[in-house]
Amino acid sequence: MPAISPRLTRAFQALLTLALTLLGLLLVTFSLSAFSPVDRVLQIVGDHASQSTYDQVRHQLGLDQPLPVQFWHYLLNLFHGDLGTASSTGQPVLQDLLSAFPATLELATLALVIGTVFGVIAGVLCARFAGSPWDLAVRTFTLLGNSVPIFWLGLLMLALFYARLQWSAGPGRLDDIYQYTVTPQTGFALIDTWLSGDREAFKNAISHLILPVLLLAYYSMASITRLTRSACLGEMNKEYILLARAKGAGEMTILLRHVLPNIRGTLLTVVALAYTGMLEGAVLTETVFSWPGIGRYLTTALFAGDTTAIMGGTLVIGVCFVLINNLTDLLVRLTDPRVH
Amino acid sequence: MTKKLLPLVIMTLLSATSYAATPPDTLVVAQGLDDIVSLDPAEANELSSIQTVPSLYERLVQPDRENPEKINPVLADSWQADAAAKTLTIKLKSDAKFASGNPLRADDVIFSYTRAVTMNKSPAFILNVLGWQADNIASQLKKVDDHTVQLHWTADVSPAVALNILSTPIASIVDEKLVSANVKDNDFGNAWLKMHSAGSGAFKMRVYQPHQAIVLDANPTSPGGAPKVKNIIIKNVPDPASRRLLIEQGDADVARDLGADQISALTGKKGIEVLSIPSAEQNYLVFNAGNSANPLLNNPAFWEASRWLVDYDGITKNLLKGQYFVHQSFLPVGLPGALEDNPFKFDPAKAKEILAKAGIKDAHFTLDVENKPPFITIAQSMQASFAQGGVKVDLLPAAGSQVYARVRAKQHQAAIRLWIPDYFDAHSNASAFAYNDGKSSTVAGLNGWQIPELSKATLAAVAEPDAAKRLDLYKNMQQELQHKSPYIFVDQGKTQIVVRDNVKGYQQGLNADMVWYDRVTK
Repeated sequence: MPAISPRLTRAFQALLTLALTLLGLLLVTFSLSAFSPVDRVLQIVGDHASQSTYDQVRHQLGLDQPLPVQFWHYLLNLFHGDLGTASSTGQPVLQDLLSAFPATLELATLALVIGTVFGVIAGVLCARFAGSPWDLAVRTFTLLGNSVPIFWLGLLMLALFYARLQWSAGPGRLDDIYQYTVTPQTGFALIDTWLSGDREAFKNAISHLILPVLLLAYYSMASITRLTRSACLGEMNKEYILLARAKGAGEMTILLRHVLPNIRGTLLTVVALAYTGMLEGAVLTETVFSWPGIGRYLTTALFAGDTTAIMGGTLVIGVCFVLINNLTDLLVRLTDPRVH
Repeated sequence: MTKKLLPLVIMTLLSATSYAATPPDTLVVAQGLDDIVSLDPAEANELSSIQTVPSLYERLVQPDRENPEKINPVLADSWQADAAAKTLTIKLKSDAKFASGNPLRADDVIFSYTRAVTMNKSPAFILNVLGWQADNIASQLKKVDDHTVQLHWTADVSPAVALNILSTPIASIVDEKLVSANVKDNDFGNAWLKMHSAGSGAFKMRVYQPHQAIVLDANPTSPGGAPKVKNIIIKNVPDPASRRLLIEQGDADVARDLGADQISALTGKKGIEVLSIPSAEQNYLVFNAGNSANPLLNNPAFWEASRWLVDYDGITKNLLKGQYFVHQSFLPVGLPGALEDNPFKFDPAKAKEILAKAGIKDAHFTLDVENKPPFITIAQSMQASFAQGGVKVDLLPAAGSQVYARVRAKQHQAAIRLWIPDYFDAHSNASAFAYNDGKSSTVAGLNGWQIPELSKATLAAVAEPDAAKRLDLYKNMQQELQHKSPYIFVDQGKTQIVVRDNVKGYQQGLNADMVWYDRVTK
């Protein structure tokens, strides 16, 4: 029997772990939905409907079957690529997710880029001038970002920049004039408006993105800045830094050439966590800004007791979470010779 | 500071393009659309879909906008009723066309009613009132000629009630030719109609994106007349505070479902008008007379004392800030036959006297209530006011669907609920509150209230062909329920709609489906 290469074994193990994680995720989500006191049928038919309608919908949803059978049917369909039909939209869950996910991805990615760039710069500067008024000011500012409720901040931003100063566009992804003239090709507002060749529509898309992106960037920046600062400070007491200092290197040089490369593992992990956090949890931002993303889709599904949509959404987020985490591990391993 | 300034600089650069009013021939409506399950008229049963369906579809007859007691022909040209034979012979408008261009035929009427009854979706119970069921509907509808149809029903219902039932959204007439081309797996075109329209209303559907927007285009050939605006965009703006900002900025022309605080902030603002329209929505407290865990719940003296323990004025004026008014009988003001006097007020001394006389001591009950305004507001007021009469109320706040589920399973002791008539007829409310056959899940049935005599009276009233006599019957029933029932009717709602002041001609009526955009200009 030929020996299986260790790389292949590792890949197989990774896939098995992934499959088991997702199965566990589905099982937990399914159990939570199944044991919640919400009556899914009543959510759909309302409380005036006749008993025969009630029974008919109950049967259609498969709720008259025992729970293990319901779960088994769900898994069987899943293997055929069928995530089921969402009762809250009447559409296949896969189709719903494919239209909601780009909206969230666009928002989260832009916010992450801005949050990371400003967060890392601010964190390094704070570490460089630790204890100075600048440090204090930035730390207070970032602490606010972590402690003020995000929906409240979002509403304040809308009230100030949209309603009072009229500097930015309001809730939604595009103004109504562009909303139905630009054909959605990719689901990303920036790319679609760019492809349409309509410069005004493109500007409008940017204008709609600014407030929610800045809000989420601020939110993610808060943790990135604080963790960068403390990682830098932790590293700066080490002996190799003392040596560099003794050899006459400037503080900024030490930070940028020695400290920053050495904390990349922590940084990558923090950034990855911020990204996954935004992908799954931008619910409040999406609600305040009427952003039709995955967070809003899931919340609506939760309120409607729509288990099919909840499970589909959880699966997609779970896959993202596992993928991003694994990618981060891989990146850390590739870039950091200490981790092997 | 750079990172604070940069966004401001970028926003300043964009400021020239970012502020836009709504397009001139398009009406932009901001409201929550997350409740929609379907826009198929045979399935639509949620507030947002019921408000939209009448713009897309017409019915044979519809209530008059100014005077809803009067039924007007819309797709019908005329009708002849035979109360004894329980038939209506309806002549259709010969020149009426659907938005697709297909002419209206008797087959469309038969197809529309057949699919609504056979599919048996949530609003089907409205047509079931006529005795129409999936197994008998085929024999009840007869095509006389291409433009005449004869409708027959089996239940003891007067022709006036039958017409009222045929004026509801579920009785909308769909374009049989267009729908049949889109049937999949014998679904009567249900899946297709969730996302498309096939009617003759003032508008037709351009696109529906669930949880995002419904975009409607004008249908210039509508038998009811061409609308004045070319398009309507009904946007889903889930957060009421964001809706307020949109209307304030002029980025929406109409905003619905704003809270009391948002309404008071917008009242008197330049460019904005707040319309206050009576609605048929009522809130009531009900005791579950069938719950043996607490014998008080079936005690008429306790019901009577409770009527004096609700702070009606405090709830409507101070807590709900004018979005509701006191109304104490089961037919809402505006519906024919409604009793308008309010004999009860908050009087804890009187309540204590009644309780003492009946020998009730240490009275207490649990109250199931939906954890959002106005329900929770009313419940908290009741907890305080009942305490003044020596009655302890334990609140059980929960999500709406949980409260439904508990009431449906008859597990509650008392609950605060909302009622909106399903069709514009007193029978819609009477059959809920004053009818219990022991099988149907009427409000009386779910609360274990045994009323054989009243149930007979309800059936007699719906069969009564004489309009004046019929209203008298309902007045008597209301009086009886007002004084001797486990229900305490607290208030009736007013729909508050905010419109920009250039929007003229918007009309809305008492019932949820009475929303008309066709005469709107801006």
